[in-house]
Amino acid sequence: MWIRKGLTVAAAAALAFGAVSCGSSPGGRDDGKVLIGISIPLTGDFAEPGKSVEEGYRLWAETINGKGGLLGKQVELKILDDKSQAEAVVSDYEALIAQDQVDLIFGPYSSRLVIPAARVAEEYGMLFVEPAGNAAEVFEQGFQNLFYGGPSVADTSFDHLVDHVLAMPEEQRPKTAAIVAMDDPFPKATAHGVRDQLRDGGVEIVVDELYPPNQTDFSGLAAKVAASNADIVIGGAAYQDAVNLIIGLQQLNYDPEIAGFTTAPTHPEFAKALGAGTAGILAPTSYSPDARHETNAEFVAAYEEKFGGRPNEDHAAAFATGQVVAAAVEAVGCAEQGECQQQLVDWLRNAEVPTVVGPLSWDDAGRPKSASMVLQWQDGVSRIVLPADAAEAEFIYPKPGW
Amino acid sequence: MDSTVVFQTVILGVLLGGQYALLASGLTLYFGVMRVVMLAHASFLVLAAYLAWWFTTSTGLDPMLSMAITVPLFFGLGVVMQRILLSRLRPATLTMMSCLLTLAIALVVEGVLGFLFTGVQRRVQVGYGSAQLNFFGASIPVVKLVSFGLAVFGLAALYFILMKSSFGRSLRATIQHKQAAQLVGINTDRVAGHGFGLGLATAAVGGTALALDATIFPSLHWYWIGPLMAIIVVGGLGSVPGAAIAAMILGIATSVLQIPMGATWAQTVFYLALFATLLFRPQGFFGGRLAQRF
Repeated sequence: MWIRKGLTVAAAAALAFGAVSCGSSPGGRDDGKVLIGISIPLTGDFAEPGKSVEEGYRLWAETINGKGGLLGKQVELKILDDKSQAEAVVSDYEALIAQDQVDLIFGPYSSRLVIPAARVAEEYGMLFVEPAGNAAEVFEQGFQNLFYGGPSVADTSFDHLVDHVLAMPEEQRPKTAAIVAMDDPFPKATAHGVRDQLRDGGVEIVVDELYPPNQTDFSGLAAKVAASNADIVIGGAAYQDAVNLIIGLQQLNYDPEIAGFTTAPTHPEFAKALGAGTAGILAPTSYSPDARHETNAEFVAAYEEKFGGRPNEDHAAAFATGQVVAAAVEAVGCAEQGECQQQLVDWLRNAEVPTVVGPLSWDDAGRPKSASMVLQWQDGVSRIVLPADAAEAEFIYPKPGW
Repeated sequence: MDSTVVFQTVILGVLLGGQYALLASGLTLYFGVMRVVMLAHASFLVLAAYLAWWFTTSTGLDPMLSMAITVPLFFGLGVVMQRILLSRLRPATLTMMSCLLTLAIALVVEGVLGFLFTGVQRRVQVGYGSAQLNFFGASIPVVKLVSFGLAVFGLAALYFILMKSSFGRSLRATIQHKQAAQLVGINTDRVAGHGFGLGLATAAVGGTALALDATIFPSLHWYWIGPLMAIIVVGGLGSVPGAAIAAMILGIATSVLQIPMGATWAQTVFYLALFATLLFRPQGFFGGRLAQRF
């Protein structure tokens, strides 16, 4: 390296003190590997999905290394725990880029952490593909280097359900809806997306509530929803909130015709928590292990061998993130900090990449151009019911009593 | 909103308040006996809830039976923790340092739970999980009634021990005036250890009640510790009846205020009550005299 050691130290010190002048030097690391820096919530609120994302990334790295690596070099992941905290995610990515001189970075989990992380990535001019930040806010920050590694954004993730409801004949169509959402970008955006479209379609919104992410008692909210006796209940939720709210509704003997919740119903633990009470519950899902997308069968088999069981959408989105970055690196022929990153961004802007969640392409803000599937719990298992061409089972309406 | 919803919400608030009362009673006891701010109380609640869940998933029996193991276990754990850790803190900085020490214990408990049971959010399934009773037009969830019953039972047992047993008399004497208690021959060190054990035993009962009707995960204790701390300050530090009354009032208030204010603002009730207490009546609203000395 032509940079003298003292200079490197001085530069590192300058970076550490915030005097960021990001040059295009490829850095001081030359170990014949492609080092990828990642920060994920392994503890705190998002620990559970965070671990799935970690498994997805590790599986991708193993798979690609088994095929000879990226550009002929072995891939190595450096994974830090951001404790589900925005401050930690910022310092993690700063450290990965400036001190560890990673060649590429992958995104963290959840919109709440993706936004601050993406800001760091922009500052250093790094390509930023992320597996789990698809709230509207993520794409409204003016990020130039961000791409979301799933098929749809939050506002539109329940679109197939809304379209299906509004296409019902007048006399069957539900008349009222209750919307309850966590005050967090992703769940809120999904629930409010449904709310606005239903309202425009002539469905009356009788309950419209937000709750903070640290809410644990849902009996009051459940009482409000139950009192409205709405035909549809939509919950923009993470995990424990959805389970607690559903049980709260069941305890009050409220049984709507359509019940849709984000995230929680896609987790295997959901059925263990609710038992038979899952009947008819709907959720948007960006992924199915049975989908016939290119490389998906291979991914599911590799997952089963390494971890046992079947991969969920977080595993798949993380794996797809790896596939997207790998496609760009192979096409452009470089993987390092500096000008290379912009070339990767430019290539992805016009590309369509085959992944385990389906072929992905993006608009200028990094929004993917596809839509989520909708699953429904039937007889204790979740099945894809919408859209019709991907369905594994009939959509049951009105839902059976829970 | 019509009156049925309000009535329904008041009932749910009473059930919630009962749970808060039990959870806060142990916390105020530690402070009363030993001037210890016990930040790990909520993490032991979650630990007890996990043990109840584990007991039920591995044996198939009702989670409440796990108390036969967890209550004595937690009592012993409390005595040991007091004797080997907390009693070594210097009296002059006890209150301050106990914050640090018990925060460390809380983090250890959270970490161990995450290590043993992973971060997966768990829920005990009981047969009466979604059953309800009808009470003058309001639905009362059976499981919440059971956990309320458990709270009442726990508080009654605590009251009985404190008021009727000779250990309870020693404990109250230690709370009222440590030196005077020593003068009449009470071994205040041993009483403090047992008092700490008693507080932790209430966490075992409270945690079991929590497990019946909540989804649990290792970091859940952070959600509880703030409201519980607010409750014991409002009730008067060290006063068990004060904590119970404050818990009931604040429980009903958060529940009912959700109707006009929404869930986000209703949560601020705890902290508004805390500020109001510190401003107007720092010793607490219900009987506590201890805080005046600090």
